[in-house]
Amino acid sequence: MEARAARLRPARRARRSVFRGERRLGAAMLAPSLAVIALVAAYPIAYAVWLSLNEYSVITPGLSRFVGLDNYREALGSSAFWEAMETTVLFTVVSVGLELVIGLGMALVMHRAFRGRALLRAVVLVPWAILTVVTAITWRTIFEPELGFVNTVLSSLGLPGGDVVWLGEEGYALAAMILADVWKTAPFMALLLLAGLQGIPEDLYDAAKVDGAGTWQRFRSITLPLLVPAITVALIFRTLDALRVFDLPYVLTKGANGTETLSLIAQRELVTNRNTGLGSALAVLTFITVMGVSFLYIRFVGGNIRALTEEEQ
Amino acid sequence: MASQDRSNARYLTALGVCVAALGLASCGGGGSSGGGSEAKTLEPSDAKGASGEVTWCIGKDTSGAFKTAVENFNQQNPKLEAKLVELPENADLQREQQIQRLRAESSECDVLGMDVIWTAEYAASGWLYNLTPAVEAHESEFISSTVETAEYEGKKWALPFNTNAGFLYYRTNEVPKAPTTWEQVYNDAQEKNGLVYQGERYEGLTVNFLELLYSAGGKVLSEDGKTVEINSPQTREVLEFMRKGIGDGAVPKAVTTYEEESSRRAFEAGHATFMRNWPYAYALGKESSIANEFAVAKFPGYAGNEGAGVVGGYNLGISAYTDNPDGSLAFAEFLTTEPVQKEMFLKATLPAVATAVYEDPEVKKEIPFTEELLQAVEQAQARPVSPVYTEISEAIYDNVFEALNDRESADSATSKMSSEIEGALQRF
Amino acid sequence: MTERHEALGRALLWLAVAAIVVFCLFPFYWLINTSLKTGTDLSSANLVPPHPTLDNYTSIFKDSAFTMALRNSAIVAGSVTVLSLLIGSFAGYALARLHLPFKFLILAILLSISTFPPIAIAAPVFEIWTEIGLYNTYPGLILPSLAFGLPLTVYILASFFRDIPRELEEAALIDGATRFQAFRKIVIPLAAPGVVTAGLLVFIFAWNEFLFAITLTSTPDRRPVPAAIAFFTGSTQFEIPLGTISAASVVVTIPLIVMVLIFQRRIVAGLTAGAVKG
Repeated sequence: MEARAARLRPARRARRSVFRGERRLGAAMLAPSLAVIALVAAYPIAYAVWLSLNEYSVITPGLSRFVGLDNYREALGSSAFWEAMETTVLFTVVSVGLELVIGLGMALVMHRAFRGRALLRAVVLVPWAILTVVTAITWRTIFEPELGFVNTVLSSLGLPGGDVVWLGEEGYALAAMILADVWKTAPFMALLLLAGLQGIPEDLYDAAKVDGAGTWQRFRSITLPLLVPAITVALIFRTLDALRVFDLPYVLTKGANGTETLSLIAQRELVTNRNTGLGSALAVLTFITVMGVSFLYIRFVGGNIRALTEEEQ
Repeated sequence: MASQDRSNARYLTALGVCVAALGLASCGGGGSSGGGSEAKTLEPSDAKGASGEVTWCIGKDTSGAFKTAVENFNQQNPKLEAKLVELPENADLQREQQIQRLRAESSECDVLGMDVIWTAEYAASGWLYNLTPAVEAHESEFISSTVETAEYEGKKWALPFNTNAGFLYYRTNEVPKAPTTWEQVYNDAQEKNGLVYQGERYEGLTVNFLELLYSAGGKVLSEDGKTVEINSPQTREVLEFMRKGIGDGAVPKAVTTYEEESSRRAFEAGHATFMRNWPYAYALGKESSIANEFAVAKFPGYAGNEGAGVVGGYNLGISAYTDNPDGSLAFAEFLTTEPVQKEMFLKATLPAVATAVYEDPEVKKEIPFTEELLQAVEQAQARPVSPVYTEISEAIYDNVFEALNDRESADSATSKMSSEIEGALQRF
Repeated sequence: MTERHEALGRALLWLAVAAIVVFCLFPFYWLINTSLKTGTDLSSANLVPPHPTLDNYTSIFKDSAFTMALRNSAIVAGSVTVLSLLIGSFAGYALARLHLPFKFLILAILLSISTFPPIAIAAPVFEIWTEIGLYNTYPGLILPSLAFGLPLTVYILASFFRDIPRELEEAALIDGATRFQAFRKIVIPLAAPGVVTAGLLVFIFAWNEFLFAITLTSTPDRRPVPAAIAFFTGSTQFEIPLGTISAASVVVTIPLIVMVLIFQRRIVAGLTAGAVKG
C-alpha cells in the first residue's frame, strides 16, 4: 500500500507542476489582451458607470452631485426610453429574422456547385465591405421623396406608392431602415451559414436519398439540425449589433417617425444635450439589455461558448 | 493549496484594481476646475502689441476665403502667426469637437467660430472670455441684431463674424409679386404649386416655426430667460396654421423630410411655387434651370403683424483656455474689419455683420439682394438665449414635428413643448 | 422526366444567382453611378449618369487630405489586424488549451466588453488620451479598435484551436518541444483558415471604425478615412457632397473587395470549423 502510494505521488506531483507551468504560460499569454482591454475599455467603462451615478451641472462648470440611481429612475420612467426599447427590439427581431432567412437562401444557392461560385462569394461580401455611414447615405438618397430612385421608378411604371414619402411615414420609415440593414448584413449571414453547410458530409444526403427522403425532408432533418451551431453564432453576433444600431437611423431619419433606437437616445442625452449623467445611464441600460440578450442566447442555444472553455478530461 | 492561494490572490488583485479605478474615476469626476469662477475680461488695448500663435477653429473653409484672411492677417501682423484648424462642415459636429476640447481644457483652439446659438451655453460653462469692452468699442459698426446674439446675462461674449436671415423665394412666372402675408402665401401655394420649407425634425424646423411665432407676437422665454412663455394662444394658432397647411395641400407632406438642400432641390426642380430658405440658395438658383424665373423677398407678416426672421450666422469667441488671449483678440478684431467682411461676403457668400459693407457699390453690384438682406437681418430676432438652448430647441422641433404629421393636436403639442422646456430650465 | 427537372432546376438556380447579384450589387452600382455625376444630375434618379464625369474622383485627390486619410486608415487598420492576431491568438490558445481558473469568466468579460456602447466611453478615452499625450497619434487610434476587435478575434481563434486534435500537440511535447513551440509550429499553421478569417473581419472592422476616428484626431495627417469623409464639403454649408462621398467610398471599397477575392476561399473554409463543431 505504502509502495503504491509512493508510486502515485510523483505522478500527481508531476501533473501539478505541469499545471503550474501551464498556468504561468496561460497568464502570460492572456496578459497582453487583458492589459489592452483594461486600459482602453475596462477603465473608461467603469468611469462611464460612475458618471451615470451623478448629475452634472450645465450652468456651473465642474459642479456635480452624487444622485445614486436617480438617473436610472428617470430613464426607466420616461416613455421615450420604452418607446426606443420597443423600436429597437422590433427592429432587431424583424431584421435579424429576415437576414437569417435570406442569408440561408443565399447560402443554399452558393452551396451548389457551378462556375463562377468564387466570384459570387466575393460579390456577396460587397454590401458588408462598404462603410456603414455611406450605406446609410446611399439608401437615404434612394428613398428620397419625389426625386429619389424608388419614387421615380414607381411613378414612371405607374405603380402605386410613387408619391409615398417613405422616410416620412411611421411604419414605412422603420421598414426602409430594416431593408437597408438586411441588405448590408444578409450577405455576412450567408457566408457564415455557407461555412456551416460545407461542413455537412454529403453521404448523409446520399443515404437519405436512398431511403426515399424528399428535398424538403432532407432539408428539415439533416441540414437544419446540423446548421444549428452556425446559426447560433451568426444570430448572437448579429443580434448584439442590431440592438446597438446607430448610424442607420441617424442618417435616414434622425430617429423620427418611429425609428428612434436606444443608441440614438443615449447619444442625444450624452452628446447633444450634454446630460452626462442621464446619457451614461442610458448607455449602461443599453449595455445591460444587450448583455441580457446574449445571456439568454448562451443559456438556451449556445452550448458551444461554454464548451470552448471547459476543461477536457 | 498553493495554487488556490495564487488564484485567490489573482482574483483579489483584479478586484482591487477595479476599486482603485472607480476611486480614481470619482476623483476625476467631481468638482474639478472652474466651478463658478469669474470669467476674465479682455480690453481692446490688450490686443495691441500682441505676439505669438493664434489658432482659429471653425467649420470647413469651402471657398478659400478663410485661408486668405489668415494669410493677410499674418502679413499685416509680423509678430503674430495665425493658423486655421478646420472642423467638419456640419454644425453639430463642430459643436461636439469644440466642446470636447473645452471640457478637456485644451489650449488647441484659441479663437472659436461659434454658431450664434451656442453663446449662452459656452458663456455659462465658463469657456469664454468676457469681451464686453471690445464689442462695445465696435458696436456701432455692426447690425444690432447680430450683437444681440453675442449677449448673455448682460455681458457680451463674442464678436459677430457673419450673419444670416431667411428669405421668401418665389417663382416669378407663377406669382408676379411676393405676397405680404403668410396667410396669402399659403392660399396662393394651395392654388398653385405649393410652399416648401425645412420641416425635418431638427434645428431648421425650430427656425421655421419661430419665424411664424415671432411674427404672431409669441415668445418662447421671458426677457430674463427664466420663465417659459410658449404656452400661449399665438403658439396654438401658429401650430394649427402650419398643420393645416400640410393637410390642405398648400405644403407637400414631403416637407417633413426636407432640410435646406432638399427643399432647394425641390424648388429648383419646379415642384414648388414658394420656398423659405437662407440667402445661399440664391446663387445656386441662378445657376439652375429656373435662373430667370425666381426672385426673393423679405418675410411676409402674420396675423396683421410685421414679418419676423430668425438671426443665423457665426460669432467669434475666445477660449478661456487659450495661452494667447491678446493675440486671439487681435485676430478676432481683424476678421470684423470692413475689407475682410467684404471679402467673406463676396467670395464665401457669408453675409457681413458690418453695416458699411452693404453700402459698398461693388457688393451691391455682385449681390442683387443686399437691400433685402440688410432689412431681413435688421428685423430678425435671436433664438431663445439659454445655456440649455439645445434642449429647448429639441422640445420645440420634436413637438412641432408631431403636429405637422398630424399625430398631435396643436393644443397638446403646445402644452408638451411648454412642460419639456420647463424641465430643461430646471437642469441645475 | 429527370432531364426536364434538371433543366428546370438549373434555370431556377441561375435565376436565384441573378437575384442575389442584383440584390448585393445594386446599391454599390448606385454608388458608382452617383460618383460619376455632378451638379444637378446628382438630384435626379437616372440609372446611368447623363453626363458622366471623373470630376469627383479628381477633386477628392486634389488636396492631400484624402490620400493621407487612406494612408492613415491603412496604417491603423493594418496594425490593429496584426496586433489583434498576435495577442488574440495567445489569448485564444490560453483559453482553449491551457488549464486556468476562471476561464469562462474571462471569456465572458472579453465578449461583454465588445457589447458596451462605444459612445459612452468616447469622452473618457479622449480625456485620458489628452492627459497622457496619445491624442491625434497612431497608437491612440490603434488601441481602442484593438480593444473592441480583440473579443471577436479571441473567440474565433479559440474555436479553431479547440478543433485541432490534441494528439498533434502531445506528439510534439513528447518530442521535447515546449508548449509555446508547439503553439507556434503546429497549432498556428493548422488554424490558418481561422487566422485569415479573424484577420479579415478585424481589418474590415478597424477600417470602418468611425466614432474613435473622429473623436481622437484633429488634423488631416492622422485622420482615417471614415472621419475624413465627414469633412468633405459641398459648395455650401448645407450640402451633403454626394458626388465626392460616393467617389471616396468607391475608392475605399475596391481594395477591400480585392482582398476578399484573394482570401475568400480561406474565409469560407475558415468559418466552417469553428461554427460547426463549436
